[in-house]
Amino acid sequence: MRTAIADLPRLGLGLGLRNVHFEQILAERPPVDWFEAISENFMDSGGRPRAVIRRIAELYPLVLHGVSLSIGSVDPLNLDYLARLKRLADEVQPAWISDHLCWTGVLGLNSHDLLPMPLTEESLGHVAARVRQVQDVLGRPLILENPSSYVRFAHSTMDEPEYLHRLAEETGCGLLLDVNNVYVSCFNAGTDPAAYIEAFPCDRVVQMHLAGHQHRGTYIIDTHDRPVRPEVWDLFRLAWARTGGAATLLEWDGDIPSFAECHAELLKAELHMGGAAAPAPAEPVRSGADRISNPVGFLVPRVMDSNLLEEA
Amino acid sequence: MSGEAAALQSVQHWMHDAIAFPRRAGRDEIDRLLASSPGLSAAEGLAVYQRGYFQRIASCMREQFPATGHALGAPLFDDFVADYLRERPPESHTLYDLGRRFPSWLEETRPDRDAPPEKRETWADFMVDLARFERAVFAMFDAPGHEGKPFARAATPDERLRLQPCFALGAYDFPVPAYYHAVRLDQPAPLPPARQSFAALVRSDYVTRTIPLSAPHYRFLEAMTEGGGVEDGIAAVARHLALAPDEVRRSWRAADGGRQRWIDWHFFIDAAEAQDGQGG
Repeated sequence: MRTAIADLPRLGLGLGLRNVHFEQILAERPPVDWFEAISENFMDSGGRPRAVIRRIAELYPLVLHGVSLSIGSVDPLNLDYLARLKRLADEVQPAWISDHLCWTGVLGLNSHDLLPMPLTEESLGHVAARVRQVQDVLGRPLILENPSSYVRFAHSTMDEPEYLHRLAEETGCGLLLDVNNVYVSCFNAGTDPAAYIEAFPCDRVVQMHLAGHQHRGTYIIDTHDRPVRPEVWDLFRLAWARTGGAATLLEWDGDIPSFAECHAELLKAELHMGGAAAPAPAEPVRSGADRISNPVGFLVPRVMDSNLLEEA
Repeated sequence: MSGEAAALQSVQHWMHDAIAFPRRAGRDEIDRLLASSPGLSAAEGLAVYQRGYFQRIASCMREQFPATGHALGAPLFDDFVADYLRERPPESHTLYDLGRRFPSWLEETRPDRDAPPEKRETWADFMVDLARFERAVFAMFDAPGHEGKPFARAATPDERLRLQPCFALGAYDFPVPAYYHAVRLDQPAPLPPARQSFAALVRSDYVTRTIPLSAPHYRFLEAMTEGGGVEDGIAAVARHLALAPDEVRRSWRAADGGRQRWIDWHFFIDAAEAQDGQGG
């Protein structure tokens, strides 16, 4: 029987599980409420990542978060991908499985980016049908995240909160509210992020994301490579109240610092849960070149470091 | 484009093409399909995706081919990646697959491909060899292995020795394993002259080892791939060196022969134990 969104647990404050922190987590078992693992980093693994995620799943609540489901693509759903994801889920029993409202490629190609959807009746029908199909295969509700975006389609007929509200109503899926993405997308579109949160179907929100971004003055890039900005903490206070304290996770994917630093950044969320704003120093707008949006380099292991040369 | 422009399929085909091949994206189409914002024009927003596409893949390729990147230098390596990305765009959901076709692409696109061997650039031969080795090393990291199960021991009879699943052999025209490890150890790594080299890659306890091999040892292990046994290896070496099999057998069992060291490095599993494990 499929779990209802309302029955999913409130996991507290979690961290993204990253390769560079594996050793420390397993050795020290730090007091983190839960971890989110990138599905694609583990679902094809016959090596150490698979062994690590099995162990992590024994020690902590775990969630699987995907970047390649491509729920919005006009290509057929990748059933092999879904079968691999299902096998991993059966093995590690995640609290839920999430991905993004996006498409990653078309015509059999993969951009490895989270590309935005036109927000139209046509695309809503297309995505809803595919969400139902995915949920049937996985035997559980899919949780979908609002992506960060740099373009909007001229022919869109609704905004993202309305689209996700209708998608959740039609399919029973849950939602992952990425607060940083709200700020990034709204800034880039010239719209009000607080109004976005107010309009968002927060009763469907199972999880939230926090992350840092690169402010470029006239636009923002979703870089996940630095601390959370004060403006995003402000939005988080609103989102925390409106979702009634949904499970909250910090993503740090570029220039990943020590585990302690990531954890300390995550715990700043506690300062914002009561509604009172804690003063936070604003990070200055940085100069220099654009960083990568939605970085994925952290998903590729530094294999060279673990290869030994023996004498023949 | 006509009224069909609103169709999801058309939009996705157009946008993917515009990201992968920025020069094909006409300004009129961009402005017709995408909305501008006060701080970010449609073209500027699209450019974030266009830049990110290359940067994202290039960062992963640098991680998968660190020694090739070192040998070529970062700017030239990135140029190769840009061409590779255009000609062999990613097809898989996994980033681990990005470099799978890179060595063969380097070979297929070299300018002197059709020249006779003596007129081909040796540095290009070296780069192809090095990329092949790095791809093999990378694939070992996450390949199905034998961790958690017993490996063969000194007492395991020869007839039950089989290569373990996370094992690969390579034959190269350049000493690329040595070059790779010089880069890994941050040691001086000049481009080496051509010299045939052989290596085994083997993983146990999730650590991959590079083990340089002699030509006879390579022949021995090559004969054991695809399920062959020790006697297949002995026969291959005997043919290769024109020796009697008994002589090769004695060498294999000698203190400085392959047997004990290869067992210590976990080259082998015990076929009988593996069969019992399957049955259980």
